[in-house]
Amino acid sequence: MMFRLYGAMTALIFLAVIVVNDLAGGDWGRLAGGFDNLVVFFNQSMWPPNWIIFDPVTYPVCKSRFEFMCSIGYSSMYETLQIAFASTIFGFMGAILLSPLAARNLRSNWIGVPVRILLSAIRSLPALIWAIIFVIVVGFGAFSGVLAMTLYTIGYLGKLQYETFEGMNSGPLEAGRAMGLSNFSITNNIVIPENSNHILSQLIFMFEYNVRHSTVIGIVGAGGVGFFINNYMKLMYYDRVFALLIMIFVVVIIIDFVSYIARSFVNEQGDVRRPSWLSAIMRMREKKASEPAD
Amino acid sequence: MVANSILSLSNLIIGYNEPLAGPISLEVQNGEVIAILGISGIGKTTLLRTIAGLVPPIKGSCRLRVDKKGGLGYIPQNLGLVRHASVANNVGLGAGVRLEWTMFSERRKRIEEALKAVGLTEKASEPVRRLSGGQKRRVATARTLAQRPQLILADEFLSELDEGNASAVMEAVLPLVTQGSSLIMVEHNPKHVIRYASRVWWFHDETFTDLSAEEWEKFNPKGGEEA
Repeated sequence: MMFRLYGAMTALIFLAVIVVNDLAGGDWGRLAGGFDNLVVFFNQSMWPPNWIIFDPVTYPVCKSRFEFMCSIGYSSMYETLQIAFASTIFGFMGAILLSPLAARNLRSNWIGVPVRILLSAIRSLPALIWAIIFVIVVGFGAFSGVLAMTLYTIGYLGKLQYETFEGMNSGPLEAGRAMGLSNFSITNNIVIPENSNHILSQLIFMFEYNVRHSTVIGIVGAGGVGFFINNYMKLMYYDRVFALLIMIFVVVIIIDFVSYIARSFVNEQGDVRRPSWLSAIMRMREKKASEPAD
Repeated sequence: MVANSILSLSNLIIGYNEPLAGPISLEVQNGEVIAILGISGIGKTTLLRTIAGLVPPIKGSCRLRVDKKGGLGYIPQNLGLVRHASVANNVGLGAGVRLEWTMFSERRKRIEEALKAVGLTEKASEPVRRLSGGQKRRVATARTLAQRPQLILADEFLSELDEGNASAVMEAVLPLVTQGSSLIMVEHNPKHVIRYASRVWWFHDETFTDLSAEEWEKFNPKGGEEA
């Protein structure tokens, strides 16, 4: 059994190498000088990061009590988080309405197949393409970003949710059906509460995902920090781009910690032991400490 | 068809794609308590699921004469509870099914009565996932009590309960039977069968027999080890 598994893995790796060789046109020499190029580019253009992004802009005149809040770094990141938040909430509302219709164990294929095709169609275009479409429809700015991310969230979260519903224990569904509960009542009172921890966990994950993607859609003019990344790259201000990337990295890490704590409120592990804020930051260290001593 | 018959099985052959048991022809009257007995895998649960309309019969017919909405109460082997919802919400599912959605006070009254009957009033706001196996069985029973169905199908709902709790749960269910509901339960404990059942459906030696509890006791003087 193990021999077959290793054999199959080796064959797949070999196949992947052949595919890459084909894509690279057989010129592996391109890798040799690549890392040196990156080092030179990093040293000359990106390092040190230029924290001017946190200085207040000269126009429009800053009316805020804290000048920092008038900086490009803060305002663009704030807008990105606004896009991610609004699109996650609206996308969640769309997904939770559609996903029970798509689940095979809840509805017949006459309803399920068209809804699943709709969700696939939404997902088939990346958020960036949806952003381009909505920039054309409603113009530049964060509003088109919210619409694009909302649509993508419906497609993505809808799939996660209906797959979760399909994997749920059939016992409560059967009890509900035998009782004569309506489809709406089964969804509302059995399916959603039974999967609540998964649904909330996926919602938090989607928010994290949307924060990361909201940084990208700005590149096509749909608002957020990506708009400035794109502008600075065109102007070759790579040190400012690097500063923005560091800021995004820090924000995503903070959201990851917050979501780790938030998820503990809805999973069964949280019934026994809820992590402290410190343990969210020092997860690795805590894990090592809990290992049995030799 | 017999007068007052709540369930008629006619030449029913049960199974999942392949025939498992049958043909079965039976009538169930209002107010009867029926125990289904037999070794594991012989088709007891499949019969309950077929009556509940969850598995289509391979042949024959299964006619239920109960209200479409809430007339049938089903306690599956795994209880079918919503683990992340509170005890009261689970019981409320049963209470709400036969009531209009505006009848809040009646719904609340039924939940309180059902929880009191199974001794779980203090656990009303606790999520079901935190309860013990025995307590979960009592919640599932309370859900059915609050529903007040005409026919109750219970799959081993007294297992995992100690003698005292099993008696308490049955004492809570029996008033429904007195009021005219029927109970069909899969049961392994011969003491419960002899004490509560009026009839026994016995899957035995690849045959299906419909007996009174007394007749079954004569067949099985040791108390039915294989039951």
